[in-house]
Amino acid sequence: MVAGISDYLKKIWALSIKDMRLYYFKGPTIVMGVVMPMFLWLAFMIGSSPSIGSAVAMLLSISSFFAASSITPVILPWETRQKTLEMILARPITIELVLIGTCLASMLYGVFVSLVIIAIGIFLGVCAANIPVLIASILLSSICYSFMGLLFSAIPSDVPADAVLLSSVVRMPLIFISGVFVPINRLPILMRPLSYVSPLTYYADIINDLYIGRSTFSLGIDFLVLLLFTIILGIFTIETNRRTIIKRL
Amino acid sequence: MVEAIGLYKSFGSVEAVRGVSFSVSRGEIFGLLGPNGAGKTTTIRMITGLLRPDRGRAFIMGIDVHRDPIEARSHIGVVPEVSNPYVDLSVWDNLVLIGKLYCIPKETIIERGKSLLEELGLYDRRSSKAKTLSKGMRRRLLLAMALISDPEILFLDEPTSGLDVFSARKIRSMITGLRRNGKTIVLTTHNIDEAGMLCDRVAIINKGKIIAEGTPDDLRIRYGKYIEIKVLFDNSIDSSVLNEFRDHYNVTCDERWVTIICEKNELDEVLDKIMNIKHRLDLRIKDLHIESQSFEDIFVRIVRGE
Repeated sequence: MVAGISDYLKKIWALSIKDMRLYYFKGPTIVMGVVMPMFLWLAFMIGSSPSIGSAVAMLLSISSFFAASSITPVILPWETRQKTLEMILARPITIELVLIGTCLASMLYGVFVSLVIIAIGIFLGVCAANIPVLIASILLSSICYSFMGLLFSAIPSDVPADAVLLSSVVRMPLIFISGVFVPINRLPILMRPLSYVSPLTYYADIINDLYIGRSTFSLGIDFLVLLLFTIILGIFTIETNRRTIIKRL
Repeated sequence: MVEAIGLYKSFGSVEAVRGVSFSVSRGEIFGLLGPNGAGKTTTIRMITGLLRPDRGRAFIMGIDVHRDPIEARSHIGVVPEVSNPYVDLSVWDNLVLIGKLYCIPKETIIERGKSLLEELGLYDRRSSKAKTLSKGMRRRLLLAMALISDPEILFLDEPTSGLDVFSARKIRSMITGLRRNGKTIVLTTHNIDEAGMLCDRVAIINKGKIIAEGTPDDLRIRYGKYIEIKVLFDNSIDSSVLNEFRDHYNVTCDERWVTIICEKNELDEVLDKIMNIKHRLDLRIKDLHIESQSFEDIFVRIVRGE
């Protein structure tokens, strides 16, 4: 049993390392995971003058979100096109292990980008009020967003741009309704219910709490809802991809 | 070692595989032959656990492939028909990745990987990215990746498809070498002569059904009842002279060459008639060929249901 679990973990790690080596430096990953959130942030910064704490919190929220969800939409279409998917699925692994390996690589990308933003914040003299809570929120949200990204790759297309386009269509509006740039209580009343069903809302709320002491929900609620989103998205994503991945062969 | 029992698979309204059953014994090379779209790849995908059959079961060394795919696949190496190594990884890193997916210890991967790459003529290219390899080299790399786990059973889907003569020969010689080492091999191909050369036993599949099964020699005996007689006379002959053949045999005449296709048991009679013509027209025979049908001809006859 222990040997079985250890073998599974080794296989997931091997798949994840492969994804890191192959996809971390691909154009779509860098554009959608690093450049896009940076420009969105800069666009908001021009014309407004938030405190450094607010600026770092905004950048951290959107960067974690975009980075962790930028690789997962690309991998399956890319591997379908490169004709490597069947080759890898014919090994003693399951579709679930491949998907978890992919999510792990994507999640670590989100964590890495977040750590860079945190380091920049520290360099500018801004630090989160509670480092363990910050680390826990980054880990949990990165898992959640990598599952969300993987959901976009469930369309059995071999064109990575299809999945990237779909993910952008969903991710961009979330930025504006999740309290990253505009606090939820200042959103039009009709839009507020939408913000409650966005997984970014709860992570942004934690980050705002830790960096500028402003929050809509308690930390407990933020973590609980983020955990629920992670579980639901995880199950839904794996099940959806499990059904469609065979169509890619 | 490998057993397929009544496999069925449909894609929408298309019945790709309709009740395919066969078994492969230890150390055997078994060929699944058929024209394009016959159901070969779908059958292999079901046996290797990539596709779930609508009906039927597949076993690898007694393990139900769909109940325990990981355990079943740990005994097999697969080279899918349309597949590539990771082109942005080096030859060596591709091998190591696959080794890790079989949980092979690092030292074994190094030892086995080195020996495989040397055998397949890729050792000097071990640090090159796979995208720099030729098509034949990539195919050999895929074979090395399938062999890194030293599997008991190897599935090769169209192993030489699209390769030049030299690469194809190298792969074929590797396959015969693997048989000598006791490996069980299941290969699909539409290269009939290749199957005739390599396989101990073949099954011919068409429209999702196995329509003939046996050793290549069995099939030659069972279905290869025709022979071709080619005679070269010293002078061209009038084709009307051959009318006496036309009622019974398939005859063509091309200047001095006369070709007659007849059943094997009619050989004596046909040769007598040829000698008659020779004496009657005072001709000399300059050349004579008597050939059994090629395995390809037999395959075509079986597929056409003749």
